[in-house]
Order: sequence, then C-alpha cells, then structure tokens
Amino acid sequence: MDLLQILVNGLSVGAVYGLFALGYTLVFSVLGVINFAHGAVFTLGAYFTYLLIGGAVGANGLLAGFQLPFALPFWGALPLAGLGAALVALLVERVAFRPLRRRRADPLLALITSLGAGVILVNLIQLLVGAESYAIPTGALGGLPASFPLLGARVRTVQALLLGIAVLLLALLTLWLEGSRNGKGLQAVAEDAETAQLLGIDSTAMVRLAFGLSGFLAGVAGGLVGLSVSIAGPYFGIGYGLKGLAVLVLGGLGSVPGAVLGGLIVGLAEAFVPADWSGYKDAVSYGFLFLVLLLRPRGLLGRPLPTKV
Amino acid sequence: MSVGRLLGVGTGLLTLTLLAGCAADPGSKPVDVAGGVPVGAVLALTGNANVYGQDQKIGLELALQHRNGAGGINGNPLKLALEDSGSDEPGANAAFTLQINRGVLALIGPTLSQQAFSADPIAQRRGVPVVAPSNTATGIPEIGFFISRVSAQSSVIAPLAIERALKIQPGLKRAAVFYAQDDAYSTAETTIFQKALKEKGLDPVTVQRTQLNDQDFQNQISAALREKPDLIVLSLQAVDGGNLIRQLRELGYKGLIVAGNGMNTPNIYPICQKYCDGLLIAQAYSPELDTPANTAFLKAFQAAKGGAIPPQLTAQAYTALQVIGDALVRLDKRQPLKGATLTAARKALMEEILAGTYATPLGEIRFTPEGEVIQSQFFVAQVRMDPGGRSGRFALLK
Repeated sequence: MDLLQILVNGLSVGAVYGLFALGYTLVFSVLGVINFAHGAVFTLGAYFTYLLIGGAVGANGLLAGFQLPFALPFWGALPLAGLGAALVALLVERVAFRPLRRRRADPLLALITSLGAGVILVNLIQLLVGAESYAIPTGALGGLPASFPLLGARVRTVQALLLGIAVLLLALLTLWLEGSRNGKGLQAVAEDAETAQLLGIDSTAMVRLAFGLSGFLAGVAGGLVGLSVSIAGPYFGIGYGLKGLAVLVLGGLGSVPGAVLGGLIVGLAEAFVPADWSGYKDAVSYGFLFLVLLLRPRGLLGRPLPTKV
Repeated sequence: MSVGRLLGVGTGLLTLTLLAGCAADPGSKPVDVAGGVPVGAVLALTGNANVYGQDQKIGLELALQHRNGAGGINGNPLKLALEDSGSDEPGANAAFTLQINRGVLALIGPTLSQQAFSADPIAQRRGVPVVAPSNTATGIPEIGFFISRVSAQSSVIAPLAIERALKIQPGLKRAAVFYAQDDAYSTAETTIFQKALKEKGLDPVTVQRTQLNDQDFQNQISAALREKPDLIVLSLQAVDGGNLIRQLRELGYKGLIVAGNGMNTPNIYPICQKYCDGLLIAQAYSPELDTPANTAFLKAFQAAKGGAIPPQLTAQAYTALQVIGDALVRLDKRQPLKGATLTAARKALMEEILAGTYATPLGEIRFTPEGEVIQSQFFVAQVRMDPGGRSGRFALLK
C-alpha cells in the first residue's frame, strides 16, 4: 500500500516535470539553446486557465477586479490556455531569438535574451494582476470526487488527471513527431538545420512550430499544476523551471523520450525520499542528477557528442 | 602589477568604500522635518509573503491618516516612506539600508521573522529604532536595544489553540506536526507547538518537514496519514499552509487542524477555499474588542474596505505606526526634534517607545526593557467559510 502511494505521488509529479522539460527539449533540439522564458510561459498558462474559468483579478494589479464576461468549464479553458501560452511563446521566439538567429549570433546570447524575456513576462504579470496568490476553484472538475481509493492507496483526482493528460500529450507528440510530415521536418531541422533547408524544409517555420508546441505544453502544464496546487504569484514557474532544467539534463539534452523518463525519475526520486527527510527532497533529486551525470555525462538517453579532430 | 602596487590599489579601494559608507550615513546631520517627520516601513509587497504585506500596508495607511488627522507630530505631519522587501532577506537588507540612509527616525518591519534576523542587525548597528509589526519568532527583541515588536511571540499565543482543540475534542491522542524547515518563524513556532503538545500528553506521532516554496505536499501528507492522526498542527506560511490544508482534506483527513500565526490572514481563503473551514488559530487581535482605540480603527478600516473585518496583521501594523507616532509626540514635546542630530533623536525615540503605554486596537500594550511587547488579551478563532467556499471569517471562540 505504501509503495503504491509513493508511486502514485511520484508519477503524478514526475509527469508534470516531464511535460515541462519537453518544452525545453523541443526548442533545444532545433536551436541548441535553452529557452529560459519557458517558466514564465508555464506561469501564464496557469493564469490564462484561471481567467478563462471565470476567475477575477484581485485588488493589486492594473487589471484589479477584471473578469472575463464568460466562464468556461475547466476542460474548455485548459486547451485555450495552452493556445494562449503558445502565442506568447511565438512572441518570445520573434523578439528574443529570431533577431539573433538572423545575425548568426552566439547561442549564448539567445540564452540571455530568453532570460530577459522571462523576467519581463513575470514582471508584466505582476503589474497586471498583482503578486497575490490565485487558486482554481475546488469544484472546477464538476462532479468528480476530490480523491478516490486505489488498492489501499488514496489518489487525488487531480493527481490522476495530471498523469493521464501528461501521458496522452506525450503519446500524441510522439505519434506526431514520427508519423507526420511536419514532425519529421522538425526532426530533420533538429538533426541539421542547414541540410534540412537545402532539402526544402523551411527551418524558420519549424523553429516557430517548436516554440508554439513548447508553449502549448507549458501552458497546459501550468493550468494543471494551478488546478492541483495554487498559483502562488508571478514567480510560480521558477521552481518548476529549475526542476525542468534538471530533468532536461538528466534525460539527455534534446531527447524527447529522455525528457519524459527524466521527469518520471525525478518525480519518483522525490517521492521515495523518506518522510523524515522530505524537506530535503530537492537536494536528493539534484544529488541524483549529479550522480547520473558523473556516470553518464550525456544524460540517460542523450546522444554522444561528435568527436572533433 | 607588483604585489606592492596591488596592495596599494586594494587599500585605496577599501578606504574609498569606507568613506562612501560614512558619507551615506546621515546620523550626524540634524533631523530633517521640513516635509514632515520621516518614518520608514519595509514590507513584503511582492514575492511569496506579499499576502501579509498587503494586509500590513492598509494598517499603516490608516494609522498615518489617523495620526495626521489628529495633528501629526505636534503640528508637523508624520511622513511615511514605504519600501518593498520582495519577501527575501537581500531585499529586506537593501530596503532597510536605503531607508536608514534617507534619514528616517524609525523603521517598521520587515514582514517575516526570517527577514528580521537578517535586516534588524543593520538597524541595530546604525542605531535606528525598529518596531516589528509581525515578527513572532523567539529572539527578535534580543537582537539589540533598538529592536522591539508589537507582535506577541509565538510562545505566548500558539499554545492557546492547542488548549482550545482539546476543549473541543478532549479525546485527542495522535497529533501530526508540519513545519517549513527553511523558515525562521516556522521552526521557532513548531518548537513551541511541540512543547505545548507534550505538556498536554500529546506527543507528536510524526513531524513532517516542508520547504517554504513547496506547493505539493502529497508525500508528506501520505506519510502523516499513515499514522492515523486526529489532530494536525501546522507552522507554515499562508500560501504553503493553504495548499497543504487543501491537499490534506482532499486526501481524506477529517480531524481538527490547528494553524500558527503564518496562516492568520484572510488571504488563505482563496487558497484552501471550502477546506479552510474549521481551522483553529490563536490570535493577538479581535475585532470584537470593545475599546475606543479598536472602535476607531474598526470604523476606519470598514470605511476603507466596504465593511470588511480587519485581519490581525492590519491591526498590528496600525499599532506599530501608532506606537511610533505617540512616542514621537511625547519626545518632541519634551525635547524638540528640530535641531537635534539624527543619531541622538533616534536613540531618544527608542527610549521613549520603550517607556510608554499605548491604547491600541490590540488593547493596552507596553514593552519590556528588551523591547518585547506586553499584551494582556489573546483570542482563539475558528475559520468559518461561506457556502460558496470563496470567502469566510475568523469567528471568535468564547
């Protein structure tokens, strides 16, 4: 019973880490750079979900008291929040990445501009809706119970949903990457952008696609986490952003299955930390990452770096 | 570059830094009361403790209005400069230093005990009186002569909620304790809670540690629920505590929950929503206290906030500025501020603060020579949520 409870806790948290890290992975695979604005896009996804289900802005931002004239059910709001986050991710690409790419600037510069874009987004959230916490109403899932028993363990419904939706999105993404023309185009650009361009693949469009997808995944993950816990202010995504980076490196930079595996491993590693030491779970998961990197520097499913002569 | 030149450059830079530090300290200058008598406040208006800072800001605004409406400091208005600590220690340190360099006579803040342990020593070194409106951890006034507080320490208040829980349910046997191990307030308060539990024969069956920025507590909750507790005792801040209560109830816990001062704010309502209902919290303020000072405060708050009930943090912030204002009035009559050096005025003000007795919304208060508040009345409230679970109130338990 205890083992099952730990597995359920670990897998549901790990699924969120995996979804988050997938966004990093998609952008890294086509540009070879980490998008540090990803955490802010995740945060926006949570706020979009809150607003779309009819939530009102608190008393401290420029939009104090604002409320949309309609309220969607959570299931309608979540994909729309994902789309909203995707649009913001495209804007980040347009402003923080594309101008540097055109000038063939050092990828390190894009890392800094994305960090800047993330900081601006977070401050914009604070300016517009204040720094207070928001929570998606406990009844947002309609008639579903708050939790249910499973073979002696107790599972929060939102935990099960997190895991289910994450698995579904990962499966759809894998199918799309392997089975569609655009998915293969994205992989070709990830392999070698210049050669892909010579073969007639519009690499700029593929980069946009990667950002859009990454933003969508971040937005959905943000909405789901906002449902599970609360939206603890504009800096809500920072902790997840750091954990997502650890997952990205653990799974192997640029590897889609690696991001998923890394997320689940980190989630489970945290869940298996003995209760008396649970306050140190971050140290345990980062220590685990450190150990894996010592033994396998390219991450669990990362490809070996080409030997330069 | 030779070692000699390096040493020369190093010494020069050090001298410049020391000179710059001295130049920034206005202590030797006369008190500048031209635009009003300057007082500073440092609150957590952004970051994870902003929910407290927002409550406190209203209290300061109302106290300022009240003081200046009653003639300010003997005809000169009281001027309040507010700075945001950003809910962390570097932010609190920077804001304290900025305010001190501006030449304020006294400081209110910072919001959290964790920040106070970092920023208060700066004020102590620079000789600036601090009146803390919400630091409850053990050891705050002990930082030094210039540090005082109007927020009674946890050891006085926290055990009252345990006593009340036992009164409601005398058969309680198994208590589970949660606290944030990286937060000074939480670690100080949980020690007091655990001691109170042991004294009542309720040795905790489990103690679960969390971190201030945690949002997902399912592992700790699962571990605690395995011990079949009938009482949960929380020393957490509002956001993490609200999330923990929600997850605790969703995972099936139906027993009593006692929370500490960190959750003593209506800002928990949107986080734990309907699951906040029944939460027991000991308080240093009751809106039902029937004194002229509280009636005036209540009236002003309700006029500003459309009839709402003021939270404890607002009342304590109001009290902190009232204490400084009252002490300034007395000091200025005895020994005019105009013409005095800032250093001398700050020291005299601290002595005046400690010497006074104040009729405040918290009741009559005074201070020990160390700066610890002496307050006569405390209360225990139970959260009662409205049917929709979106808002509620702290109902006083008689």
